[in-house]
Amino acid sequence: MKTDPTILRLRKANPHPLPATVDAADLFARITERRPDSRLRRRVTRRRRALVLAVSFGVMALLASTAYAISNWVFNSAVRPKVTKQEYRLAQHELTLPPGVSWPTLNVDPNSVTSRGAGGGHAVLISQNAWECYWVKAISRGDTAGQQRAQTELDALLANNILVAPAGAPEDWRPPNPPQVPYAVFAHDGGLEWVRKTYALAAAGHPHRLAQTCRANAPR
Amino acid sequence: MALEIDRRSAEERFRTVFAHLGTITAYARRRGSKDADALAAEVMTVAWRRLADVPPGDPLPWLYGTARNLVLAERRLSAPAARTSMREPERVASAPEPHELDPDLTRALRSLSEIDREALLLVAWEDLAPSQAAKALGINPAAFRVRLLRARRRLRASLDLPADGRPPAALSQLDVEGT
Repeated sequence: MKTDPTILRLRKANPHPLPATVDAADLFARITERRPDSRLRRRVTRRRRALVLAVSFGVMALLASTAYAISNWVFNSAVRPKVTKQEYRLAQHELTLPPGVSWPTLNVDPNSVTSRGAGGGHAVLISQNAWECYWVKAISRGDTAGQQRAQTELDALLANNILVAPAGAPEDWRPPNPPQVPYAVFAHDGGLEWVRKTYALAAAGHPHRLAQTCRANAPR
Repeated sequence: MALEIDRRSAEERFRTVFAHLGTITAYARRRGSKDADALAAEVMTVAWRRLADVPPGDPLPWLYGTARNLVLAERRLSAPAARTSMREPERVASAPEPHELDPDLTRALRSLSEIDREALLLVAWEDLAPSQAAKALGINPAAFRVRLLRARRRLRASLDLPADGRPPAALSQLDVEGT
């Protein structure tokens, strides 16, 4: 187009090739002292309204997602007393107690929160202590079958319902894939080894440490 | 307060439009306006009054379109006798016409329809891109390109006309294509 001879000839013939020089300040002032296009204001208002709406939606979405995240963060690991008691009740169907022993009532402060799974863990420790005490009594009365049963129950408990936290884990450590059964978590401080040694001594006819454990951990 | 802000933002926007005052004044002069300064000032006044219609990104085509309408109106007002007597075709009387050209070019341009002539001049003199010129004339860009091509051919053919004005074969052939 720029090299087209017809256009070039026309360009050369342009009688005023440069923009006119105009003193415009006064004209600008005179024009703009009139009322501006009223539709502009409507458009600005509409745009502003749309912007306010968009920002409001954004803030609401942010708040909702934050609330969801916080509730997930708080309530995923910490639960109310109602949940803890429910866990405790469910665990009673999966754990055993020696003959003649019943599950004590679990008292939880109504304004407190507990780690998820704590109700099941409490039931595990109740069951463990009850069988230890039962074992002590079975030894003292010479009940071999009772001793045998207590040892079997406690071995199963140690194998299935007691976990050891990794070294350096925080106090509220939970396994990444919690087992489907009630479980209690022991610290990585040799406590479980001490328990196993206690059971081994009791099985060998030395119930002294087991009796101490029974007394020390009996529910109050 | 809100009104004040609206006026200020309108003035800011208008300032970018108003920056083309010199360009529009020159356009009015090229089209032979009797008072190019007043016509350009009128274009700017209309732009302020209808600022919502002026495209903020590229106001030039809108300004040229408005200026062209005002030049046409000026011509209609100044030549009522010629129009009512029907001695001249209306398109010649009402079109913005080029002034101060060499006689051959003037004759060749006058032989074109008003809109073809304007299409050529918007590109050649106003240096508008075809898409901008199409907007100024209120037609779609594809139709504009066809019109421009045809106008160039016709102008070239007219400029080759002998002094006695006998039309060459090529021109009559172009006329058969229709305007």
